[in-house]
Amino acid sequence: MREPHFIRSSTFRRALAVAGMFAVFVIVLFGFIYWQTDDYLIARSDKMIATQLNSIAGLSGAQQTDAIDQHLKEDSRGVQYAALFDADGRRIAGNLQQLPPELKMNDSVQSISVVRMFPAGAQARVIRAVGRRMPNGDALVIGRDVDEAREISHVVGQALALGLLPAFCLCLMAGAWLSMRAQRRVEEVNQRVQRIIAGDLRERLPHRDVDESFSRLAGIVNGMLDEMETMIHALAGVGNDIAHDLRTPLTRARLVLERGRTNATTLEQFHAVTDKAITSIDQSLAIITALLRLAEIENSRRLAAFEDVPLHDMLREVCDMYEPIAENKNVDLRVEVKHRSSVRGDRNLLFEAFANLVDNAVKFTPEGGRVDVELTRGDNETIVRVIDTGCGIGEREREAVLRRFYRSDKVRSTPGVGLGLNLVAAIVKLHGFKLVIQPGPGGRMEVICPDRSLG
Amino acid sequence: MALVSGKRAAVGTGTAGAADGFAAVGYRLMTKVLLIEDDSETAEEITAELADRGFDVEWSANGIDGLDRARSSRPDAMIVDRLLPGMDGLTVIEALRKDQVRTPVLVLSALGAVDDRVRGLRMGGDDYLTKPFALVELVARIEALLRRPVETRETTLHVGTLELDLIERTAKRGDRVIDLLPREFRLLEYMMQRSDQLLTRAMLLEEVWNYKFVPATNLVDVHMGRLRHKVDGPGETQMIHNVRGAGFILRAGP
Repeated sequence: MREPHFIRSSTFRRALAVAGMFAVFVIVLFGFIYWQTDDYLIARSDKMIATQLNSIAGLSGAQQTDAIDQHLKEDSRGVQYAALFDADGRRIAGNLQQLPPELKMNDSVQSISVVRMFPAGAQARVIRAVGRRMPNGDALVIGRDVDEAREISHVVGQALALGLLPAFCLCLMAGAWLSMRAQRRVEEVNQRVQRIIAGDLRERLPHRDVDESFSRLAGIVNGMLDEMETMIHALAGVGNDIAHDLRTPLTRARLVLERGRTNATTLEQFHAVTDKAITSIDQSLAIITALLRLAEIENSRRLAAFEDVPLHDMLREVCDMYEPIAENKNVDLRVEVKHRSSVRGDRNLLFEAFANLVDNAVKFTPEGGRVDVELTRGDNETIVRVIDTGCGIGEREREAVLRRFYRSDKVRSTPGVGLGLNLVAAIVKLHGFKLVIQPGPGGRMEVICPDRSLG
Repeated sequence: MALVSGKRAAVGTGTAGAADGFAAVGYRLMTKVLLIEDDSETAEEITAELADRGFDVEWSANGIDGLDRARSSRPDAMIVDRLLPGMDGLTVIEALRKDQVRTPVLVLSALGAVDDRVRGLRMGGDDYLTKPFALVELVARIEALLRRPVETRETTLHVGTLELDLIERTAKRGDRVIDLLPREFRLLEYMMQRSDQLLTRAMLLEEVWNYKFVPATNLVDVHMGRLRHKVDGPGETQMIHNVRGAGFILRAGP
């Protein structure tokens, strides 16, 4: 037969162990009390018999016999022993049949076996006794039955039975109850988790409003589930965006191919159709590549490729690269290095980030405007500022621009994938820098590189 | 995709124009390329494309076999996928380099590991290309690896009537002096060292500007447009050619 489930649970086993330890402790405690009390009672009765011995021994012959008789008569519980024997060992008075041979006549109290005389007969007993040889050769023995010890052990045993057994059972029951309760909750959690695994993202763990470890844990897990649900929904949203952004060029490619298949009659026409289709497919690939790169940078923890990057040189190179584009657009692109400064980072990624910022600035600045790239120092930080005279980013859009594929309505007509700032943000974050969008007029982007950044 | 380059040259227009340049080179050298790639469809496309360009391609589907072939058949160049069954692509390269085999290697890799590029190059790869890539980019890079400019003491570069003085930092086309900005000079110098060779935008960014990244704008085209405007004056034969969907070629003739 299988043992019940709860017996195998660690909670129950722990309760069992605690109950066992408790029982041992209580038994030791009671034993100690018993032993101490017994000792005390024996010491007391020893003192009493010694005193009696002295008082009876101090009397004269006949008085001794009377005193013994009197003493025994007053003993209603029948625990007192007293006897007087003559030099030959014959009993003169008292309730002992004979002088115990092992009894040492040296005034010390000893445990000894004696035979007590009752009216009905004789009975052997172990008692505490003391004996003294009188000057006339008589032997006086005083003793006392120490059956209190037995009574005490009886009481202690009863107390143990009354206290310990119920306590032990209570422990076991509490253990069993706790373990079954824990198992019930685990089972409940398991069922809900299974539902979450099966795809029900709205499911949460059972949570009671009490300060209890299980509820607290459930609260923590629920918090995590909330966060993950939001993230998954956000991801799904991104997925939709991607699907939409991919569909556009792919639809174009499909249309071009379809029409080309029917209409192209010469090789030149066919080539033109193929080129158009390839361009559209390349566009979709570019979106996928950009997304993968973004994910890659966001997930990477690499510092291995980090090196000292002189920002003053890099910014000049960025501007040198974008100058012809700015010039074509009649935008004045200038770089101003107020402070030469190096940071630790990946030069390719940092270049890409700054190139993207400058690219954006040039793209969104109308003809005749200007773009300024500045490198300055703040408090323990290096700041790269890209300022343009374009439309800027409205306060309400500042968070949105960092979302994937977000394109402001103001610039919807400008070409681009809509991932540029995401990429910048991801790169900046990887380096432990900060991207700040300052309030306009115009666009003001800042990359703040703290001196004690990552690496 | 079984076109041989001869046929293709015969019908050559548009993009096929690029093939002419490659084909000429390919026929002359009959270069042997070893491709180690486990995906058979990718390998098939690459093999067919390289064969079109006149290369002699040997294909191996796993690292161990690839390493054996690299040792036995001594190819002129190798294309090695990063992730391979049997033996990792980088391990193959490392093993070859230990044997003092200096064959130029182009490493292919799927996206997903930024560090791969650094590691690939550190392990002895000569160039690195991430999937998905355009075939034309792959061929251009293999070409570039095979025809790396020889170290010369020449201080003047010549292509046709074009002349570049590396000491004086001056450029002339025939008698006409071309006034170049430093960045234009660097670009022209790179192109003249690799005349008759297709240079893709990514290659130009990597080699001339020394940065590996994907620009949001058609940066290279703008720079190239300016350079072309200066190099190919009115009435002169065009030397800088834009190969559609691929890149640029500097050629003495039309």
